[in-house]
Amino acid sequence: MDQRGGVVTGGREAYYFTAPLLLFVFAFIVFPIAGTLFSSFFSDVTFLGRKFVFLANYAHAFSDPGFRQAFGFTLAFIAAAVPLELALGTAFAVILDQALPLRGFWRACVLVPWAIPSAVSARVWELIYNYSYGLANFLALRSGLTAEPVNWTGSAAGAFTALLAADVWKTAPFVALIVLAGLQAVPAELKAQARVDRATTLQVFRLVTLPLLKPVLTVALLFRTIDTLRIFDVVYVLTGGGPGGSTTSVSLYAYKYFAGGDFGYGSAVSMLLFLVSFGLSWLYVRLSRFGGEL
Amino acid sequence: MKGETAEKVFLWAGAAGMALFCLGPFLYMFAVSLSRRPDLIGAGGFTLANYAAVLGTPSLHFTDYLLNSLAVSALSAVITVLLASLAAYAITRLEMKGKAAVLFFVLAVSMFPQVSLIGYLFQLMSGLGLINTYAALVAPYVAWILPLSLWILVSYFAQIPRELDRAALIDGCSPLQALFKVILPVALPGVLSTALLCFIFAFNEFIFALILTTDHAARTIPVGIAMFQGLHGEIPWGNIMAASAMTTAPIMALTAVFQRHIVQGLTRGAVKG
Repeated sequence: MDQRGGVVTGGREAYYFTAPLLLFVFAFIVFPIAGTLFSSFFSDVTFLGRKFVFLANYAHAFSDPGFRQAFGFTLAFIAAAVPLELALGTAFAVILDQALPLRGFWRACVLVPWAIPSAVSARVWELIYNYSYGLANFLALRSGLTAEPVNWTGSAAGAFTALLAADVWKTAPFVALIVLAGLQAVPAELKAQARVDRATTLQVFRLVTLPLLKPVLTVALLFRTIDTLRIFDVVYVLTGGGPGGSTTSVSLYAYKYFAGGDFGYGSAVSMLLFLVSFGLSWLYVRLSRFGGEL
Repeated sequence: MKGETAEKVFLWAGAAGMALFCLGPFLYMFAVSLSRRPDLIGAGGFTLANYAAVLGTPSLHFTDYLLNSLAVSALSAVITVLLASLAAYAITRLEMKGKAAVLFFVLAVSMFPQVSLIGYLFQLMSGLGLINTYAALVAPYVAWILPLSLWILVSYFAQIPRELDRAALIDGCSPLQALFKVILPVALPGVLSTALLCFIFAFNEFIFALILTTDHAARTIPVGIAMFQGLHGEIPWGNIMAASAMTTAPIMALTAVFQRHIVQGLTRGAVKG
């Protein structure tokens, strides 16, 4: 309360300076979430009018096979993609951390998949997985891995694999950058000491570096899990959620209801996603010890 | 010594594999965009016909989408950095209760799934008559990228010695003048890399643009390319790859030139402390 009275210098300004940021965040994120929660209690289909149904949309979601399928796909995709991203990202980080010549070039290579819009790179992947003349089938046939071309986006397993490759390709670089920052914080003396003790490179990594990377890897794991939970762009473009809804993520499932004018049910589905995401974000904020030194 | 050579070879092989993995899809994209047929890369010599077709067919609206994207992303980046600078100044320099709360709050907010906002945003923008305008995109984009830019700017501002702006305040500057005349010029490299990151994030955004735009008046390039189906049924892969190449080339150039700044900004936003 003291600050408001102007007792502490700059007290009033501090609020003026923060207000515009908070205004935007409230108007375009917090308020919409509240609006979505409100909508989720209504049956609200364009041209059919609005009717209060309280929790009926949620009850429907739990018995809706489409929602269950979307939720199941999203969890399975997280379980498959996030460990791959972490492993590949860590490998990239280790390579980037070495004093190779052309350091900037290697770093730029890793940045590019991250910097290009997913919707655009997903179209490149769509062509790569094209049945008749895509690169994936060309390589698979040439190398003798398969005798017949693979129907990538037309089969459930093929579509899952195709999405996995496209998503890991896009997001492993981000993990690499986070882990790289962690690697550079590992004291060089520790590694040097282990070297003196005749440890091999692999032993140094496993016994010295990896334990020190644990906090960074935990942050990356949680961040990637939260981000994969809301996966949308690459699924929308590459498989459209097919075949037979087998690769429809929860975000895409909710989007399809919004796009079809069913705001009540779409809101309920996206609130369920929000709740899971909110729990994980809370964990993330707690675990990452942010803002400790302010 | 033998082990060291083996390690070197292994490392170079790893680096080459990494580069191929990251750039491979783009090399393929460029190759197809320059070929006459997507199934026969380079057959009959390379050609710019796909590029000419994309740029020379007004009904594809490629340049409209690209200009919309550039305008929306640039506007969002400038507004975001301005608002985030104000807040970052307050957090690092002024007496205020609940600084940590603001930081934690915006961090949590930035992790929300976009899909849980779009129903409301669509109804809001429809009500305001803003569907298919830049404003409908810029407003939620700014809100969406503010948290990240706040985190990055706080970490840059915190490094500037307090004596600098304290001297300005003693000389009679207002906090606003101290921010614009002292802090921002000193933190300029950090501010620019934050703006660049904001630009890339806005440029990549997909789901808001998908639901809040209806045609070339405001549709952005990711949505335009995602919906690119050609005029005659058969998917014109050569044209799509040419459009993708013209979209990605500027971003690739930006990334290559500013890679150091991007890496610094990203890691500051993601793993501080």
